This record gives sequence, C-alpha cells and structure tokens, in this order.
Amino acid sequence: MPGIRTRLALTITGFGLLLIAALATGPLIGSTHISLARVFDRSIPFADNADAQIFFIARLPRVLAAALVGAALAAAGVVFQALLRNPLATPDTLGVSSGAALGAMLAITFHFNFAVLGIASIPLASFAGSIGALGIVYALASARRRGLSSIVLLLAGVTMTAFFQALILFTQYLADFADTFRTVRWLMGTLDVGSYAPILAALPIVLVAFGMLATLPRSLDLISLGADAAAARGVNVLAAERLALASASLATGAAVSLAGPVGFIGLVVPHLVRLVVGSDHRLVLPASALFGAAFLIACDAVARTIWSSGELPVGIVTALIGGPFFLWLLVRK
Amino acid sequence: MLLAERVSYRYRAGDRLVVDDVSLTVAAGDLVGILGPNGSGKTTLLKMLSGTLAPSSGAITFDRRPLTDWKRRDLARRIALVPQETHAPFDFTVLDIVLMGRFPHLGTFALEGPADLTIAQQALASTGTSAFEQRPFATLSGGEKQRVVIASALAQSPELLLLDEPTASLDLGHQLDVELLLAGLNRDRGVTMVLSTHDLNLAAALCRQLILLRDGRVIAQGPTDEVLTPAAVRALYGVEADVHRHPVAGHLTVTPLARVP
Amino acid sequence: MKRILLVLLLMAAPAAAQTAPQRIVSLIPAVTEMIYAMGDGARVAAVSTYDHFPADVARLPRVGGLLDPSVERILAIHPDLVIVYATQKELIERLDRAGIPYFNYQHKALADIMTTIRALGARIGSAARADAVAAGMDRSLAEIRAKTAGLPHPATLLVFERDPASLRNVYASGGYGFLHDMLEIAGGRNVFAGVKQQAVQASTEMLISSKPEVIIELLYGDNLTRTDPAKEIRAWEAVPSVPAVRSRRISALTGDEFVVPGPRVVDATRKLAHTLHPDVFP
Repeated sequence: MPGIRTRLALTITGFGLLLIAALATGPLIGSTHISLARVFDRSIPFADNADAQIFFIARLPRVLAAALVGAALAAAGVVFQALLRNPLATPDTLGVSSGAALGAMLAITFHFNFAVLGIASIPLASFAGSIGALGIVYALASARRRGLSSIVLLLAGVTMTAFFQALILFTQYLADFADTFRTVRWLMGTLDVGSYAPILAALPIVLVAFGMLATLPRSLDLISLGADAAAARGVNVLAAERLALASASLATGAAVSLAGPVGFIGLVVPHLVRLVVGSDHRLVLPASALFGAAFLIACDAVARTIWSSGELPVGIVTALIGGPFFLWLLVRK
Repeated sequence: MLLAERVSYRYRAGDRLVVDDVSLTVAAGDLVGILGPNGSGKTTLLKMLSGTLAPSSGAITFDRRPLTDWKRRDLARRIALVPQETHAPFDFTVLDIVLMGRFPHLGTFALEGPADLTIAQQALASTGTSAFEQRPFATLSGGEKQRVVIASALAQSPELLLLDEPTASLDLGHQLDVELLLAGLNRDRGVTMVLSTHDLNLAAALCRQLILLRDGRVIAQGPTDEVLTPAAVRALYGVEADVHRHPVAGHLTVTPLARVP
Repeated sequence: MKRILLVLLLMAAPAAAQTAPQRIVSLIPAVTEMIYAMGDGARVAAVSTYDHFPADVARLPRVGGLLDPSVERILAIHPDLVIVYATQKELIERLDRAGIPYFNYQHKALADIMTTIRALGARIGSAARADAVAAGMDRSLAEIRAKTAGLPHPATLLVFERDPASLRNVYASGGYGFLHDMLEIAGGRNVFAGVKQQAVQASTEMLISSKPEVIIELLYGDNLTRTDPAKEIRAWEAVPSVPAVRSRRISALTGDEFVVPGPRVVDATRKLAHTLHPDVFP
C-alpha cells in the first residue's frame, strides 16, 4: 500500500480529472440540440444566438451551480459525519438544512421582496435560517460544562430539525394554494439558477467554509477515535469541533440557499469515496468535494433529460439514486 | 520526570472532589500502578497527568516544567495516553490507527513519510500485531485492538506511557499478552509507565510502585511489596484477603477470602 | 293510521328534495360567480376564503377552501346545498353523514365551464337562467374565435407564476386547461401546446428554445402586491435571444378573471385577444 503522499496525489488527480470531464460534458447535455460551433461563433450577436444563450444562460450556470452545491454538501457531509462520529450523519442531521428550508418557506409564504447586494430574498432568508439554526444548535450543545459533546450535539440537532419541520408545515398550512405549491417545489431542489449572480453570491461563503475545513482532516481522524485520545496527542479538540461545525454549516447553508435542500449528496458521496480511498480524512475530504461536484453535475444532467415534457427536480434524482444505494450499504454491513 | 503536587479535581464549584490532594513522583524507567475501585478517580488523575485535564488545585510538572507551560504538541511528543477503550466509527485500517500516533511529530499539514512508516511498523512489531497491518481495526478482537492502540501510542515515540485500565475488558489470555508486552517494553526499551487498574493481581505482577486511591484520596503509596498488604486491600475494597508471594510467578498475589461487614 | 302517515311522509320526502336550495355554501370561487351570474346571489349563504368577486361576497361568512374546509363552520350555516371539489373526499363523507346535499365540482377545460353552469343551474332550480348565461358565453367566445380565425397566431408564452424579479420557477400554461383554451380562442399559439399538462414548469433552457413571439404574464391575488412592473419586465432581459424580448412584446395582465374558470373567462379572453391583436380588439 503506497504512502499517504502518493495516495493523496493520486486521489486529487483522479477525482480532479473526473470533475473536469463532468464540467466539460455537462453543458453539452440537454433537451434541446445545440451546436458547439454555433455556440462559439463570435460573428453571431449574442442576443440573436439561441444556441449560445442556451449554453451560457441556461446550461453553464446550472453546471457550475451543481459543482458548487455538490462540492459543498459532500464536504459538509464528511465533516458532520466526523463531528458526530457517525457515518450516517448528513448535513441535515443538525438542523442546518431545515433552518435554511424554513427561511425559504417564510420568504415564499409571506412574500418577502427585498434584495441585499443583488441577492434575492428567498436565498437570503434561506441562508439566514441556516445560520440561525447553527447558532441555536451550537448554543444548546455548548451549554454543558466543556466541549461540544457529540451526543448533545446530535440530540440538539435532531430536536431542532423536528422543530423546524413542524414550523415548515405550519407555514405551508398558512400559505395559500399557489404558495404551498411553490414551497413544495422549492423543497425538491433545483439547480436552474438562470444566471451567474446567485452562484457568485454563494461562492465566497463556500470558499471561506472550505478554507476553514482545510485545517481539519487530520484532526478529524484523531477526534473520531475519541476526544481524550486526540487531546492527548496535541489536537485542540474544542477549537477543531467548533471549526468543523461552523464550516460545515456555512457550506450547507450556502448550498441550500442556492439550490434548495438537495438530499443524499452529503450521505452518499462520502461513503462512495471511502470505498475507493479508505477512511483517512485527508483523502476523503478533498475527494468528496471533487466527486460530489461531479456527481451532482451528472444527477442534474439526468434530471433535465430523462423526462420529455419538462424537468425533474434534481432532489428527486439524488433521492432515487441515493435511497437504494443507502439501503444496499446497510444490507451489505 | 513527572511530578504531581497535591492535585485535586472537582467538576464544578461546590461539587465533591473527584481527586483529592494526590501527590506522586514518577522517575524515568518507573512502572507505577494507580490502584483503586471504580469511581476512585483513577481515570481523572490519569487525564490530569497527560495534560488533557487541568487540576482544580495543585500542580503537575513534567521534566521540571509545569504542564501548563508545555505546548500541547510538544507534550504529546513525550507523553502518550492509551485510553481504556477505542472505538473507530470509520473503517480505519490498523496501520491508519498506528500512523495517527505520528501526529504530534508532524502537525496539521505534514504527511507521513517513509521514516514515519518505519516507526509505525516497528511499533506494530513490538506489540506483535504486524500481521494485522492492513486489516480493518474494527474486525480485531478486544485484545488485538488493545495491542494495536498501544502500538499507536508507541508510534508517538514517548518517554512516558499512561494507560487507563489496559486490561479491563480482556480475557485471561489477552490480559497476559498485554501484561508481558508492557513488562517487556519497560524492561527492554526503558519506557516509563503509569497505569491505572482495579485488578490487584495485575498491579502486583506488573508494577513496582503503587498508589492506592479510594474516593479520590491516597490511602497508601510506595513500593508494591510494602504497600500491598491485607490492611490495604481491606481499606480499598472492603474485602478480607490473603496476600503472599507466589512461588512460581515470583510476585505478590491477592486472593479474596471474605467480605468485611 | 300510522301506516298512512308513514306513506305520506315518504311521499313528501322526494318532494322536499325538489325544492330549490335557499342556503348555498360555495367552496369554489368560480361556482360562486356562476351562481351570481344566474341572478341567484341572494341564495349564497357562505363562500370560500378565496372568494373575491362579485363585491357582495365581502360581507359573507367564510368557511375555508380546497385544502382546509371547516366542517364546523359549514354546518353552522345550516346549508341545504354545499358546492364541493370532487377531490374533497373527507368533507363529502361528513356531509353525507350529516345528510346535507352537495354538488360535485370538477375543474377542467374551457368548454366544461359552460357545462358546469348548465348542470349547476339545473341543480339549484335556475335552469333557464343558467342556460341563458352559458349560451351567452358560448356566443361571445365564438365571436372572438371567428374574429381571430383569419389572423396570424403568434407563438405565445402564457406565464401565470414565477419568482419575483427573476426567471426562476416559471410556470406557464401547458396544452390542457382553460388557460390554453382561452389563449387559442384569443388568437395565440401556445408554445407549450404539445405538453399534455395544465401547468409546465419552464426551465431557462425551455424558455429560450421555445422562442415565443409574445409573452403574457398573469398577475392576480397576492402576486399583485409584490410587483414593480418595470423591474418585472426587466427580468426577461436575462434571455435576450427570445423574440418576444427582442421586440418587447411582453405584457402583464392583472385581475383574477384570468384564473377563475367562471363567467368572466369571456372578459379574460377578450383582454388576451386585445393584447395579441390590439387592432382587431381595441
């Protein structure tokens, strides 16, 4: 078995190439036939070039959004699983995703119509909801004498998720028919962002989150074997756990604000990646980010081509793939 | 090497003391046992000695410097802690686990190189677990796991090894394995050890010095032969016992006879 | 003696059932409008939460809607006829148990509106007036259709829902339903006529590739409060290759007559026709 240095190089190269392939082929797939020659034909003014518009306005943003959301959710999944010492944890487990969903529900139902720095009200409210959820869960889990007990964290998260879900249902109940329909559709997730602005709004947050995550992998390895053992080896466990919670929640909040709650990425991608690279988080974390991006690009391509009269919400595709896969995982153990 | 002066610990102001006014000295090459029933504060004391828990009062110094002066990572290069149980929620291999012991020497971003791999493999060899290198840790038996965790601690290249109930969940055969392993490491490699246990016979067989702890307080400490007496056993466990040197094994053995009312 | 009384009572029961209902509860805004159009508005005792037309309904008590009908409130009105959606199974069960008659309403295409008016008229004892209303609607619609028959039908995108200030979650009329029918009569060619659904969620790609020459957006209900018309039209500039965007043929039509499949669909169709062919329908 080659050393970690070789394996890291191979992992990044391999999954990196996969992502590049996905980015290159993603915009070429779609329900309308377009010709690449026409897309890049500079002689046709952009306003008249339907092929170019489909490529640059309809498809490329989707592919980039898929890459960003996929990477963010997959990385968050890895970190939450390590933080909770449980391979079944997901970005939804601690209520961050539900908080984001509640924010969006409120914006849709009560017709928030403000924009800050060019970001529309629904993604803004959604992100605020995710940060609110993070704050509550963190406060609950830190209320104990020291450290972030993973059990308390889990319980706090599960409780918050249930509470937020109840609020979401209540909000849906208050909504009129059209708004209920819109909220239900939002909950299925969609990557059809239609422009680069929402992506550019989410990008800095995800980059900050990734910057915070970058210091964590080895600490996560050590912490997963026990907080005391990790501390005795020189890991600042409390700082690492706080950083993990904050960074994974930021990444999740940004992703859910951009595309709605796309499920199963945070659960399935880390597991698939571990089958290939093992459990060392220094490999699993970057590989999951890269593979998560490629995977969601693929799911979105399926979502917009599989049905002749319209598109499937991408959350349905990830659930249809992720659900059976997850059952298989459970059965296999 | 390691000096604890009148350390005490309580969880919160107003709580009772879990560790009460304990002082101990560990010199290089010592094999010290902290002996006491469950709840006597052994684990807490061990955590304080490793620097992961700050005493509520008293001071601990390592190499003549207070523990609070040491940077975490520097201390971890000298002191290794073997916890009572290690549970791996992810599918780490044995080698993965042992290589984690190199962390204090490498830090957050450095990756293990050939030298680290060699140290890890030597650690595996010295605990007799080389054959398990690529096996998933979770598939090992209790005794095998414990030996791997000890190997992982050895990979830290420590001068001092702290072990929390190293044989608590092991059957007789595996207990003996670990006992012999630890004795060998102390004798042949000069690894200083402090271990906590409630097993009187393990303490008698392995440790040259004992600290008897009850309800957080020291009721006796010193060389094993002097400290391990029927009176001590009575005070510690409320049991009338016979203590004498075993003709074949050569060390003290404790045989419980009756409950003291 | 007792037996004769019993027979008389049994004979009287069907006769009682033939009496026109005087306390009607309507859960469907379209049906409320139909009843008023027949001239029987005085017989409406309560309406749904979503009823806004005609103005008289403002003073009537409300009993909920499609998703949340309040059985209690309905019973408290002591109705002798309740107009329900065919899908409101639990409500229907309870009305059955309480012995209250009901009329099943199903929402379908444009032609079904007139059929429903006639059936409703028969049910509430206003068959003649109902027929007159329906016939009038048929005539008016036929007139409009005749006028637009010879005209070019521009490819039209009929949008009834989207996120404010952006082109996300655009819902347009598909090839089924009364919106589609109204559009065709008004002289437009639905770009999504081939999609056999009432509502199509149009992705950005579909918007661009369907190449509509006219875009009509319907604004109604709460949608009205959150629109700055200039900003909303600018949202379409995200897809400049679309013919309708280039020639600036984007119109917003306000009013819930567009989304209530009742007597006012004639007005709605006329307004659509005016938007599509202003010279023929001033």
